[in-house]
Amino acid sequence: MKWFKKYHLELLLVLPMTFYILGFTLLPLIRTIILGFQNRYTGKFSLSTYQALFARPDFLKSISNTFVIALLSLSIQIVIAFIIALVLKQRFHGRSIIRAIVLMPMGIPTIVSGIIALYVFGTSGYFNELLFKLHLITKPINWLTGNFKGLLIIALADMWKVLPTLVLLLLAGLDSISQDIYEAAELDGANSWQSFRFITLPLLKPTITMAVLLRAVDVFRIFELPQVLVGKSVPFVSTFAYEEYDIGDLNGSGAASTILLLMILVFAILWLKFVDRGGSFGNDS
Amino acid sequence: MTKKAWRKFGFILLVTAISSLMVVPVYLLFKISISRPDEVLTQHPTFFVHHFDFSHWHDVLVSGNLWAPLRKSLIVATGTMIFATIIVAPASYAISRLDRKVKLAYIGSLFFTKMFPTVGIALPIAVTFTKLNLVDSDVGLILAHLINELPFMAWILLSTFSAIPKALEEAAMVDGATRMQTLRKIVFPVATQGIAVAALYVWLNSWNKFTFALYLSLTTQTLPLEVYYYVQRGSFFETAAYSTILAIPVIFITFILQRYLKSEYLSGTVK
Amino acid sequence: MKKTAKFAFLATTLGTSLLLLTGCSTSQKSSTSSQTKTLNVTMGLSEDEWKVMRQDILPDFEKQSGIKVNAIQMESTDVQKKLEASAGANKNQIDVIAQDLNTTAKLVNEGLMRDLTADRKIIPAATYAKQKSIGVFGGKTYFLPYRPNVEINYYNQTKFKEYNLQPPKNWDELLNVAKTFQDKEQLGRVGLKFDSSGAAIEIVEFIRSAGGDPLILNDKGSITAFTYLQKLWPYLSPDSQKGTFSTTNTFLAKDEVYYMPNWPFATNIIVGDGGRKDILADAGFAGPKGEVKTLGGEVLGITKSTTKTKEALTFIKYMESKAVQKKLLEKNGWPSFREDVTGAITGWQKPYYQATDQALKVAEPLPNVLYWADETAILNDVLQEICVQRKEIKPTLDKYAQQLKALQNEAK
Repeated sequence: MKWFKKYHLELLLVLPMTFYILGFTLLPLIRTIILGFQNRYTGKFSLSTYQALFARPDFLKSISNTFVIALLSLSIQIVIAFIIALVLKQRFHGRSIIRAIVLMPMGIPTIVSGIIALYVFGTSGYFNELLFKLHLITKPINWLTGNFKGLLIIALADMWKVLPTLVLLLLAGLDSISQDIYEAAELDGANSWQSFRFITLPLLKPTITMAVLLRAVDVFRIFELPQVLVGKSVPFVSTFAYEEYDIGDLNGSGAASTILLLMILVFAILWLKFVDRGGSFGNDS
Repeated sequence: MTKKAWRKFGFILLVTAISSLMVVPVYLLFKISISRPDEVLTQHPTFFVHHFDFSHWHDVLVSGNLWAPLRKSLIVATGTMIFATIIVAPASYAISRLDRKVKLAYIGSLFFTKMFPTVGIALPIAVTFTKLNLVDSDVGLILAHLINELPFMAWILLSTFSAIPKALEEAAMVDGATRMQTLRKIVFPVATQGIAVAALYVWLNSWNKFTFALYLSLTTQTLPLEVYYYVQRGSFFETAAYSTILAIPVIFITFILQRYLKSEYLSGTVK
Repeated sequence: MKKTAKFAFLATTLGTSLLLLTGCSTSQKSSTSSQTKTLNVTMGLSEDEWKVMRQDILPDFEKQSGIKVNAIQMESTDVQKKLEASAGANKNQIDVIAQDLNTTAKLVNEGLMRDLTADRKIIPAATYAKQKSIGVFGGKTYFLPYRPNVEINYYNQTKFKEYNLQPPKNWDELLNVAKTFQDKEQLGRVGLKFDSSGAAIEIVEFIRSAGGDPLILNDKGSITAFTYLQKLWPYLSPDSQKGTFSTTNTFLAKDEVYYMPNWPFATNIIVGDGGRKDILADAGFAGPKGEVKTLGGEVLGITKSTTKTKEALTFIKYMESKAVQKKLLEKNGWPSFREDVTGAITGWQKPYYQATDQALKVAEPLPNVLYWADETAILNDVLQEICVQRKEIKPTLDKYAQQLKALQNEAK
C-alpha cells in the first residue's frame, strides 16, 4: 500500500500505455511463439515445425546472412552517422541547410528507397554508368547477386534510409554534453582526439547504445529491401517468416519469427554485457 | 596553404560528400519523374535532364488517386503523433522515476515487443481492428499505428527523461512548487527537445507505414498504398512522380521543424 | 521557451483541425448510405483497365440490376490477407473477388470461399472445355471462369539482331541464346521468373513440357526438366531470382535482360509508356515433349462471409455475358473464355495479342489441389538445391517427392 501511495501518480501515467502495448503486441506475440511449438496439422506440442524449418535449404545460411547484414549495417551506419553528427555539431555557414538536407531521406518510405536503390545499383543503373563514365569498367556489373556484394548493397541502401534518424539521435546526445567539460579538458591540455576519445565517446555511450539497439531490432528483421533488391538469392530469417506465412503455414512463420527474436535477444544481451557494461539505463542517481 | 586552410578545405569536402550522399538519390527519383523515357530506359541513363517531360506529373495529378490518399495520410500521421505524445510523454516520465529494476523490466518488455517480425503479429491485430469495425476509418488506422509507435517513442523519451536529474525537481519542490507545477514548469520544458524529435519520428513512421494500411483499408487509401499500386501496376515514371510527391511534404516539414529541433533548452537548464 | 510554446501550439492546432476535418467527413459518408444493395468487388487492374471497367462495364450492370458495385483495387495476395482478417473477425467486407487463378487453391484451402457447385449452371454453354473445370477442387466448384491469361515471352529485338539470334523455339535454342549473351556480355541476359514468392508456374512449365508431373516430382519428365535447368542456370540472368510480374518490366525496359516471360499487361508498360518499340513478344519455346504454358488469369468467386450471394451471382452472370466479354476483349485486349467471343484487335498491340492467343492454345491450368501453396514451396526449394547449390538431381528429387507424398497423405 505504501508503495502504491508513493507511486500512484506514476501508475496512473503508465497504465494506458502498458495496457495498449500488452493487449496489442505482447499477447499476439506470445500466441505466435506458442504456434511455433505446435504441430501444423495436429496442433499438438512438438518440435516438428522447427525440424522442418531447419531442413529447408538455406535456412542455416539465412541465419548467418542475418547476423552478417546486422553487423555490417550497424557498423557502417553508426560510423557514418557519427561523422555526420560531428560535422553538424560544428558552427559553420549554411549549417541549417545541410542539416535539412541530411534529414531528407526520412520522408522516403522503404518501398521507394528500394526502388531508388534498384535505379542506382541495377545492372543498367546509375552507379554502373558512373563507373563506366570514369572508365573504371567496360561491362556492367551485376551488384545485386547473392554474396557479399549483395549484402553490402543492402547495407548501403538501408543506411541511406536511416541515417537521418541516427544523426538526429546522436546529435541530441552530443548536444546534451556540456561545453564546460570540453573547455576544462582544453585547459588541461587535451587535444581534440583526446577529448573525443575520453569525453565524447564515454558520455555518449547511453545514446550509442540506444541507437544501436533501436537499429538492431530493425536490421535483424530486415525484409522489404532484400525482397526488392536481391530476391531469394540472399535469404534472411525474416524472408522465411514471410514465406511460411504466405503459404498459410502460420506455425512455420511463428517458429521463424521466434528464432529471429532469439537472435536479437542474444545480440542485445551481448552488447549490454560486453560493450555497454551497464553504461546505459544505470544512471539512476 | 596553411594548415588551417587545408582543414577548412577538407571540411568543405566532407560536407559536400555528405550532402551529395543524401541528395543524389532523391534527385535521381525526381529526375526520372520528369525525364523522357529514352533517357531512363537504356543501359546508359543520363545524369541530367536533357528533355523535360512533365506528362507523368500531369497524369498523376489528374488521376484522381492523389488528393484523398494525401489527406488521409496527413490526418493519420498527425493523429498518430498527437495521441502518441499524449500517451507516451507522461508514461515515460513516470517510468523514468521508478525503481531501477522496474524501469529496466519495462524497457526490456518494450524492447521485446519490437523484436518480432511484423508478419507474425499483423494478422491478429488486423482481426481485432476488423472486429471493432475500424476498417477504412482514420481513427482505426491511427490506433493501429500507435501499436508500433508507442514503444518506439517511449524508447526515445525514456532516455530523455532519465537524463533530467531528479535534483532539478527536488530543488523546485523545496522552493514550494507542487508536483504538478514541477512537472509543467521544470520537467516538460527541459524535455521538449526530446519530445519534439520523438514526435517528428512518429509522424514520419506513420506517414511511411504500409502494412496496417494494407489490412485496414478497403475503399480509402493512404499514399504509401497508392505508391505500392503504381509499383505493381503502373509505369516507371508515374511511380517516380508519385514517390516524389510522397517525399515533398516530409522535406518541407523537416525543413520548417528543424528550426525547433535545436537543443539549447536542455543544456541551458541543466547548468 | 517561447519557441517551444509556439511549436507546441502550432502542432496542436494543426492536429485538432485535421481531426475535426475527419470527423466531419466520416459523418457525411455514413449519411449517404441508401436502400440499394452494394456489392464489394475486388480486382487487380492497371489504370487503363480500370477506366474501361468503370466507364464501360460497371455502369450498365448497375442500371440493369439496381445493384451498386463498389469496385476495389486489390492484388490477389492482398485479397488473401484481407479475407483472413475478415474471417477471423467474423465480418464481411468483400462479396466477390476476381482472383488470380494460380492463388485460388490457398483461399479454398483456408475455407474462405463459398461452394458454388449448385450454381454451375450459370457457366455459359459456349465456354471452352478447359475453362469449365477450372476452379474445381475435390469435385466442388469454388470459382467460375472469367478471364483466361497466359505469359508471353518478351525479347529485345535490337540485341537479338546484334548477335544474330532468333527468339528460341525449343530448349536447345534457349540454352544457345543464353550462352551467346553470357559469352558476349559476360553477364546472363536471359531471365526466367523464378522468384520464390510466385506460384512456381514457370518451373511447372518446364516439368510439363518434358512430360513430367509436378505432383510426382521424381518421374522421368521432372528429372529431364531439372537436369536441363541445372545446365541452363549458370547462363541465366541473376535477376531471375527476383523476377516478379512488376520487376520484370523494369529488367526488360532497361535492357538489363534481353529475354524474359511476363504477363501481357507488360506490353502497355514497356512498349506503351516506356516507348520500347523494339521489345517484341512471342508464345515461347517447346520442351522435348512439346510446349506447355501455365494457364493464368482471373476467375470469379464469392466469399464465404457474404450475405449477398444472390446479387453476387447476378454480377458474375453479367461479367460472363457475351456482351461484356466482347467489350473486355476489344477495349482491354483480354482473351475471352467463351468460344463465341472473338474479335479482331488492330493497332500496335496486335502482334502481342497474337502471341497471347497462340500461347493460350497450349496453356494448362496448375493441378487443382488444395495443397498447392505447399507444393510451390517445395518446387522453389528443389530449384534452390539443384540449381543454386548444384546438388545431385535424382536424390534431391527423391527426397522432395517423399515430402510431397506426406503432404498428399495429410491432405486426404
